[in-house]
Amino acid sequence: MRSLKLGLVFVLLLVTPALAALNFPALTGRVVDDAHILSPGTIQSLDQTLAGYEQATTNQLVVVTVPSLQDVPIETYGYQLGRAWGIGQKGKNNGVLLIVAPKERKVRIEVGYGLEATFTDAICSQIIDGIILPDFRTGNMEQGIIDGVSAITGGESLAASTSKAQQPQNGVFYEILMLGIILLVMFISRVVVPFSSVRSGSSFASGSSSLTGGFSGGGGSFGGGGASGGW
Amino acid sequence: MSTRNIVLIVLTVIVVLFLTGINTIPTQDQKVQAAWSQVENDYQRRMDLIPNLVETVKGAANFEKSTLTDVIEARANATKVTLSADQLSNPEAVKQFEQAQGTLSSTLSRLMMVSERYPELKANASFLALQSQLEGTENRITVSRRDFIGAVQEYNTTVTTFPGRLWAMIYGAKPKQNFTATEGADKAPVVKF
Repeated sequence: MRSLKLGLVFVLLLVTPALAALNFPALTGRVVDDAHILSPGTIQSLDQTLAGYEQATTNQLVVVTVPSLQDVPIETYGYQLGRAWGIGQKGKNNGVLLIVAPKERKVRIEVGYGLEATFTDAICSQIIDGIILPDFRTGNMEQGIIDGVSAITGGESLAASTSKAQQPQNGVFYEILMLGIILLVMFISRVVVPFSSVRSGSSFASGSSSLTGGFSGGGGSFGGGGASGGW
Repeated sequence: MSTRNIVLIVLTVIVVLFLTGINTIPTQDQKVQAAWSQVENDYQRRMDLIPNLVETVKGAANFEKSTLTDVIEARANATKVTLSADQLSNPEAVKQFEQAQGTLSSTLSRLMMVSERYPELKANASFLALQSQLEGTENRITVSRRDFIGAVQEYNTTVTTFPGRLWAMIYGAKPKQNFTATEGADKAPVVKF
């Protein structure tokens, strides 16, 4: 009985590696510079941009440079990396990867299931061909990545600002509502919570650690959306 | 005493069997069906792209007629050959579906190769957009097919090995027909310029 079950486990083990034979770099942050083409300053400023982007939109954008694509097309590497890391929120699947492979001279924007309507293949292709590749061709990898990130992060806020401009009355209404909510939250945190926390003896320390702690994927999935290019 | 032991062992085996297998086949069957609807989705997406693509390419002066006709015919044929999730254990139906989509793939790849010869298309923004969408869709098809192959593999392993084999007899579950990676439909057309 046990040996039969063990046999089944081995059969399953034989089946799965065929799909996941790639070695991926560790998800050390929002910028994973495994090919070492970015300066520490750039990594830091990109990281801040990406963190701000997630806070504003909940979309997770991760920049990754890889020393090798391990002999698979960048399209195959891309969606499997996205799934392995689980970039994007679970259920929303709103992750985006900007993958750069300097050795193979390939770049790809990999889009999670949930953002395929926002970052269509055509838009991704335009960002790659029109914004990233001109810099890459002149050897300026860093600038290409910076511009690519600002094109991706700017894309949605652009769409948001145009839709806001179409409904000015609603905009004012929501601003007042937001202000009201903020005031309410401030009131609760300043006045109500200190009393209750004193009584229960708990503190806020545990809550804030998740904000300053390491970055991790939210469990989003990918289905091959996006675009690639080479130089 | 010894008969009590035997009864105990038999009971344990039955309990273990129930715990390990009762939901496995239905769960994996659902996974296969979900993976299949994603494959269908992606093929449908490609179908939906084609009319626009044909219109745009037609606009180019003296575009080779026969290539366009081939694509239109292959699309019309592929629309007729559908494959629902419960037909997946029917090898003949799967083969027909694969053939229809494979023909469409190769006519499309020919269309993209021919369009390379028309500089006015390469400067046309809507053609370039459609080209990147077609590339993306072919890639989605590759991904969803791969997911489907994985799901079917898992299901077939369960159904043909112990203890899933016993459950398969109870459920009347048969191994499903899997895609073969060598079929034409698996290869995305080469549309790089």
